[in-house]
Order: sequence, then structure tokens, then C-alpha cells
Amino acid sequence: MTADPLVQDYLGRLEAAAWPLSADRRTELLQEVREHIEDALSVEGGRDETTVRNVLDRLGRPEEIVSTEVDGAPPAAGAAVIREAAATLSTGADHERFGGVEIIALLLISFGAFVVPVVGPLPGLFFVWASNRWTTHNKIVATALVVLLVALPLLLVFVVALGRLQPMGASAQPMGAFP
Amino acid sequence: MLEHCVLAILREGESYAFEIVRVLSQAGELLTSEGTIYPLLARLRRDGLVTTSWRDSESGPPRRYYRLTDDGRTSLTAFGAEWARFRDAVDAILAEGPSDRPRPWARQGARPA
Repeated sequence: MTADPLVQDYLGRLEAAAWPLSADRRTELLQEVREHIEDALSVEGGRDETTVRNVLDRLGRPEEIVSTEVDGAPPAAGAAVIREAAATLSTGADHERFGGVEIIALLLISFGAFVVPVVGPLPGLFFVWASNRWTTHNKIVATALVVLLVALPLLLVFVVALGRLQPMGASAQPMGAFP
Repeated sequence: MLEHCVLAILREGESYAFEIVRVLSQAGELLTSEGTIYPLLARLRRDGLVTTSWRDSESGPPRRYYRLTDDGRTSLTAFGAEWARFRDAVDAILAEGPSDRPRPWARQGARPA
């Protein structure tokens, strides 16, 4: 055991940070880290201040050690990114692009207009956004297309109606007189 | 990922924490904070992927030695396969850049295992 104030301070901070752990595990962790410091110092072959600081730096902050214990967070730099990517990868590989929701969405969008003219495809959008297989980008594109498809005929109807109104407006008949 | 590096180190035979840390650092700074090996080893122990036993050391107090269990070996094999798939996918992207062609991992995943 060492009486080094730097080591004592470090272990004190570790003990304070370790309050969320069970008493048994806290004692064990402190013991493990204490022995690690002794091992490292005997490998370094000296206990001057620089060596001790270096050993403690390599151990990392006490809070970091405890949070790894509590959260199970991966301690390596970049590990989280890789793990996340691997998870995306494996779900991506198992995921086909089409399931029940996606097929209903496509059927409604494609044939909805034949059932209910013009606005028929709109309920399809509900299923598009309910999909957990398509990306947000996919969904935005689908929505834009459907809105365009619905809006175009409506716009056409509007323009035609306006065209009919125009001559009447030219003949200065009041709107109420329109049969 | 780091857990599986530890399991891989133990595949060659039992070892103790300080030695595992040394192998990880020599392999290329895999462990940024050496102290986090202890929570990691505790987790492997709780998950039944390693077992431990106390041995006398030549100097100082007895050491806790870690040994791979059958579950640990299975987990390591599974990780090896997944890692290879991930590495190939990243290599392909890095080599060719993103393209409109089907993603290599999607094609791989579509094949029956």
C-alpha cells in the first residue's frame, strides 16, 4: 500500500464517485484500482511525482470509471460510433424495404384515386408515415408526389372554372346571376 | 467491441487485468482510460462470459485471473462474423464512395445465412 498523497487523493475521489455502486462492488473496485496503481508503479520503477501523475492519467478520471460501471458505456474512443453503425447495419440487413404497412401505402396511393376520385390517395400517406422501414427522406418524397397528384387535378378544375367565369366577368354580370 | 477484444485476448489462455490492459495498449491505444477495464471485466463476469480464480503472484497480493467460458467463446465467434461483415462494408464504402447501386451489406444480408 502506498502513502502517496496523489494516489490517496485519486482513490478518495474514486470512492466518492462510486456511491451509486453496491458496497461490495465499491470495495472491490477500489481494491482493483489500488492494485493496478501498485502494479503500474512497480513496472515504471519509480514513484516520483511525474511517474505517479502519469500512471493516474492513464487510469482515467475516477468519474469515468464509475460511469462505465453504471451505464455500461463502452470506454474506447470511437467504440460507440462503431457499435451504433454495426447495429444499424445488422437491422438494415434484416430489414426488407416492404412490409404490410408499406404495401398498403403503395396500393392506396396507386389506386386510391380510382375508388375516391382526386383525394383517394391521401389515406395512403397515413400508412407511408406509419412505416418504420422507409426513411424520412422516402416519406417526404412520397408525400410530395401524392400532394402534387392530388393538387394538379384540383388546380385544373379551378383553372377551367375560372375560364368559364371570365367571360361572365367580362359581360359584367353579377356573380349571383350565375345559374 | 472492447469487450470482445478482451474475450479474444483470453482465448489464448487465462490472464489478469493488468496484463490485459497491457495487451490492449500495445495493440494500439484501444483503451483510452485503463481504469475502465475493471467495470468492463465485472460486466463480462456478470454476463457469464468469463470466470475468475485467485492465484498467488510472485510479488504482491494474489491476482484475479480471468478465463473464457463456453458462452464467452460463442459470443466471440458471433462478434467475429459480425465484425467482418461491418469491416467489409466500411472498406467497400471507403474504396468506392457512396453510389446508387445496392449497398454491399444489404446484398450480403439478403443471402440466406
